[in-house]
Amino acid sequence: MQCYVCAQSGVETVAVGVCIVCGMGLCKDHAIREDVELWEGGYPFPSTKAKKKLPRILCAECAEVLT
Amino acid sequence: MPQPTLMKRAIAELIGTFVLVFLGTGSVVTSVVFFGGVESAGLLLIGLSFGFAVMIMIYAFGHISGTHINPAVSIALWATGRFPSKDLMAYIVAQLIGAVAASLVIVAIVGTRAVDAGLGHTMPGDGVNYWQAILIEAVTTFFLVLVIWGAAVDKRASAGFAGLAIGLVVTADIIVTGPIAGASMNPARTFGPLLTETFWGTTSGWEKFPIYIIGPIVGGLLAAFVYDYVAGLKSGGDES
Repeated sequence: MQCYVCAQSGVETVAVGVCIVCGMGLCKDHAIREDVELWEGGYPFPSTKAKKKLPRILCAECAEVLT
Repeated sequence: MPQPTLMKRAIAELIGTFVLVFLGTGSVVTSVVFFGGVESAGLLLIGLSFGFAVMIMIYAFGHISGTHINPAVSIALWATGRFPSKDLMAYIVAQLIGAVAASLVIVAIVGTRAVDAGLGHTMPGDGVNYWQAILIEAVTTFFLVLVIWGAAVDKRASAGFAGLAIGLVVTADIIVTGPIAGASMNPARTFGPLLTETFWGTTSGWEKFPIYIIGPIVGGLLAAFVYDYVAGLKSGGDES
């Protein structure tokens, strides 16, 4: 798979990730990693933030919409 | 997790049927004995009010504090190793303060008429002695804590329904046993009106307060340990 963003400007770059929202192939320069915090527990225990975060790869367009 | 043993499944069935018949037929007995078959609409509203209150607070603060809102629940969680000792006293004190504050706000809004009406305190009904009152408080709190364990503590439970189930068991407990001993199930719930009444010179209810400490705590502890055994939560449930 090639990077969709690079392909739009006529450059062929190998994709290293896929946007989790739209499925767009993304190279290292265009992939945006936004880690998601996880919460554990809940009633009848207080929720606690998990030590590890969930990795999430987004393209620039989806990242803008989601943030 | 493997299927529990037949003995454990049988105990679960026994308790489930006991709850069904106790609350189902008990509501009839209560209506006839205490209301002559009528005038129970008020009890329904009271039961629903408590049930709704528990339900909405579980959904509102369940992920924050755990919404115990009941020393008997905190103690049961602590006794089964699920709640740290260092937090226990703070939770109980907060619950007692919250209860007293609620009663004071009611007086502030309604005036001394609320005190004259008893502030919703819990007392054994006519013909109900001390030990019977403790027993009914233990039984109703047993149901309550059993549902908390089954619907929330046990991670096999369907997510998101704990508040509804727990609110409904509180409602059922109150509708059926409210006239017997007040259906407190919660030392803090009894403490709030009692202390507030004392501020206005009524001190007659304190001799009955141990009912609402002993009954709920004993019932809650029993339910917690019975559920852990039946569901195999503490043993891993892998006996065969």
